[in-house]
Amino acid sequence: MSAALPIPLIQLLQVLTVALGAPALMGVIAKVESRLQGRRGPRVLQPYYDLAKLCRKEALAPSGASWFFLAAPIIAVASYLTIPLLIPVLTTYGLPLGYMGDILGGGFLLSLASFVVATAALETGSPYAQLGSSRAKTFSAITEPVVLFVVFTVALLTGTDLPYALAATVRSSASQVIRPAHLLASAALFMVILHETGRIPVETHTGTNEFGMIEEARSFEHSGPYFALLKWGSMLKQFILFTILADVFLAPWGLASTQRLGAVLLAIVALLAKAVAIGVAVAVIDDSFAKLRLFKITEYASAAFLLAVLGVFTLYLGGG
Amino acid sequence: MIGVVLAILIVPLAAGVASFLVPAPVGKGITIVSGIAAFGLVLALIPSVSHGTLNYFTYLRADAVSGIFLLATGFLYAAVAVYAAGYLKGRTERYTRRFYLGFNVFAWAMLAAPLMGSLALLWIAIEVTTVVSALLVAIEDTDGAAEASWKYVLIASAGLGLGLLATIFAYYAGSQVLGTHFNLGIDPLIGAGSRLPKTPVELAFLLAVLGYGTKVGLVPVHTWLPDAHSEAPTPVSALLSGALLATSFYAILRFYQFTAAALGSGIPRDTLLAFGIASLLLASLYVFGQRDVKRLLAYSSVEHMGILAIGVSFGAPLALAGVLLHVMAHAAAKGSAFMGAGVFTVKYRTKQMHTMRDGMRLLPWSGPLFLLAIFALSAFPPFGVFRSEFQIVDGGLGSGSYAAAAVLVVLVTIAFFGLATSATGMLLSPAPRSADAPTHAPTGASPGASPDGRQSPGHAEAIAAALEDGAAVAVRTREEPSQATGSLVSGEPSAWMVVPVLAGLAVLVLLGVHPPADLTNLIAQASAQLAGAQPRGTP
Amino acid sequence: MNAPPGIYQGAANVIAALMLLLEFGMLRQALVRDQVRLYAAQSALISVLAVVIAADRNLPDLYAVAALSAALKVFAVPYVLRRLLGSPAGDEPPGVAGSHTLSPASAVLVCIGLAAFGFFTFGSLGIHSPQAPELALAIAAAMVFVSFGLMIVRRDVASQAIGFFSLENAVSLAALVLAAGLPLLLETAFLFDLLLAVVVFGMLIRSHHARAESLSTADLSRLRG
Repeated sequence: MSAALPIPLIQLLQVLTVALGAPALMGVIAKVESRLQGRRGPRVLQPYYDLAKLCRKEALAPSGASWFFLAAPIIAVASYLTIPLLIPVLTTYGLPLGYMGDILGGGFLLSLASFVVATAALETGSPYAQLGSSRAKTFSAITEPVVLFVVFTVALLTGTDLPYALAATVRSSASQVIRPAHLLASAALFMVILHETGRIPVETHTGTNEFGMIEEARSFEHSGPYFALLKWGSMLKQFILFTILADVFLAPWGLASTQRLGAVLLAIVALLAKAVAIGVAVAVIDDSFAKLRLFKITEYASAAFLLAVLGVFTLYLGGG
Repeated sequence: MIGVVLAILIVPLAAGVASFLVPAPVGKGITIVSGIAAFGLVLALIPSVSHGTLNYFTYLRADAVSGIFLLATGFLYAAVAVYAAGYLKGRTERYTRRFYLGFNVFAWAMLAAPLMGSLALLWIAIEVTTVVSALLVAIEDTDGAAEASWKYVLIASAGLGLGLLATIFAYYAGSQVLGTHFNLGIDPLIGAGSRLPKTPVELAFLLAVLGYGTKVGLVPVHTWLPDAHSEAPTPVSALLSGALLATSFYAILRFYQFTAAALGSGIPRDTLLAFGIASLLLASLYVFGQRDVKRLLAYSSVEHMGILAIGVSFGAPLALAGVLLHVMAHAAAKGSAFMGAGVFTVKYRTKQMHTMRDGMRLLPWSGPLFLLAIFALSAFPPFGVFRSEFQIVDGGLGSGSYAAAAVLVVLVTIAFFGLATSATGMLLSPAPRSADAPTHAPTGASPGASPDGRQSPGHAEAIAAALEDGAAVAVRTREEPSQATGSLVSGEPSAWMVVPVLAGLAVLVLLGVHPPADLTNLIAQASAQLAGAQPRGTP
Repeated sequence: MNAPPGIYQGAANVIAALMLLLEFGMLRQALVRDQVRLYAAQSALISVLAVVIAADRNLPDLYAVAALSAALKVFAVPYVLRRLLGSPAGDEPPGVAGSHTLSPASAVLVCIGLAAFGFFTFGSLGIHSPQAPELALAIAAAMVFVSFGLMIVRRDVASQAIGFFSLENAVSLAALVLAAGLPLLLETAFLFDLLLAVVVFGMLIRSHHARAESLSTADLSRLRG
């Protein structure tokens, strides 16, 4: 099939792929993890059913919470759905709306979503929710410099801030992939992703452990459709971060370089495959290591920072 | 001469191994023979190296500069070997054998270093001296010795790590001109001269001064020195201060030679001047207020190494000749001083100077000899140190470094004050008189009276009271374990410990009054080699 | 800044960067056993790098150096260290937790600063040559500084000793980068000299351990002035 798709449609497809594929990715990771643990595990499509169930439930809000509490999940999901417009999800060429923001813009949107959810949790006055949001914000403050340095690496490597340009650079030759700067930045970004998606060694994704909760606790007080939005939001965040890692840093191949329908479909399949591959790696890490004690997360963040800083340094002397 | 060089390399090592395997008294004899033989071999080598450089087997090399350092080490090896025979009286068999093994291997490594023709082998030799001397510092098995040896081995090895980096940069610079399989030979490197790339050579020199300077004892990387030199057994301290510091300085001199050939003499001289002034300043201040006699002498070593660095930085041939003479004179003087101090520590059973009194009377030979050694270290005429420091200052004034020469003289004078006040306190102050003597039993503190006329009336009563109690008065042969000086009897612990100090002072007088013609030739040749590396027309 | 290095140079740079990361890893380890393992890993990387450089520049001597270095630094030295650092009864070496003067995160940050200093001072010297990847030299300089940092922030003899050995590793890295053509005899002499140093260090640590019943250096501050 060689029909050329119009650009706006491709752009819409980018958002839809992320929106619809995120729960599936979550389901696959859960399944792989269970298999590694020797269980049969839930079905892969379970997250869809969970979201649907939650939408049918009644929504409650604590007394004293304002409109912000109900608006926060919506704002978060809206931010998350905007990001696929800015990063290379399916195509190698920049799409028109993609120039709305560069990689810093994408980072800003992620932080915005995280911020509103945390603030909404603070509003409730519930101890667990406040605990989670204060922890989340503290640790985000520590990992933000890492993200910044990764962005600097991108900028130094390509001279621009656009993720598309970096993807193109990485595709250009094999020796680009084993550049120390590139590998270090990718490793740092992977560590940040583990932190942002609440995986081992930062937080346990399965079950609630009060002493270790960070991300899980923030959504304690929401219920019903709003809770469904929050859960969907965190799945979206996970998929987006995996997409950035795969399509910009590690494996920017398989993206459509034309507007042909066949190429775009191939790109969708490739993206899902890459995201699943990263998800499997995350699941293996989940089952291999133990959660870090909270005060050791600073060590973890300093290790990620070290990798990012070294990545920037190695670029300065050329040949990095 | 090949035989002589090989013999110098083989004899001490063989002696070390042998003295470990045979009973201690035989080992003692073997060491003394080896020391004297090594010194004799070095003396035999001198006429040849005065006339030119000897090269054997690619990696062995002896020239006039090496000859100077070999003389210093060889003399100390012989003298301290004799001294150790007396110092180790009363130690266990196991201790003595391990001591002699380490001692001989240590001397072997220090004798080998000036004979190495490649900078890489030079580094290896100095590394071997570090590890062997660390074990020797720790051999006393006291808390202080353990601390000192750990500090020493860690700091000195880290410094030598930097020295290795310096060697690598020197290789890199040399290989750019001389090809990839350059073996770090000294002559090719000097010969390449200004063809060497500038930055690596600069870097190599700076790292060498910092790295090897750690072993020389230049401030600020000298911090291991007072501890190690004071906690080691005295023969080892004498070798450390007199010979090891000089051998490490030899390494810096080699780097100086090719750096000055490549870059001109500006940067190397400024670097050495800075480190030298810092060392001299800090050491002359620290000699005040020292309570431990060996620590005092250790800081004096830092001072003299600073003087060496300053002397090289003056650059004039006269100053360089002074530096080379100073190496030898300092070895003799510091060795004698340490050996004398060792006699004191054996006699008084302590290293604390404020408890040692009346040295002139209690040690009729070592007392005066120690005083003379201290004067020698402070550059009194007619000792060799005076001549060498005079030459250094003269060379400095002649080459226009007025400020540095003035600073040198002032700081040396300050250091003299420090040394002299402590030493004369030990030697000339009368023994303290304890007021509560009569009430003590014979095993307690006995009255601190001396049988000559230095008594106060009250003291006479105390003596009478003590006599009535039947307490022993000072002139018993039994030595008290407590530190009351008056209970010690006058007399040398061992003749073995006196002779080397006499020899050292005799050498100093010889060097100061009338150095033998062969020696003067050697020094002239060596200073020409060092100065000849500079481009013509340098002031 | 955009031109990527060749495959060999890139590999050399990656190996150097990994060695630096292992150096930082040593800052974190609390057990002597883990530090020795990191040291062995670092030495293994040096051998791999030696092979890479030997292949790239046709220096057959370097293969022998790589093999000898692996035998000595990856197997012999860790073995000697484990034997000498263990308690006299011969079981596992003790841990030295609590000997940090700074928490691991702060130590990492301080050492990042030291590494940056070393990195940029050596990098800005402009020691260019077709044979020397400049980046690896700068990383070696950073490693030297970080190993000094390791010796400074830890208060136990084992970490200080491992800091010194990794200093030697850093200098070996610089040697591989700058002095790959050094004659085989000299390289061999260096390696055996290192073994000798290890033995002496081990003996001193063992006697310290026997005397103080711990590896801490907290008591080693009696000699002052």
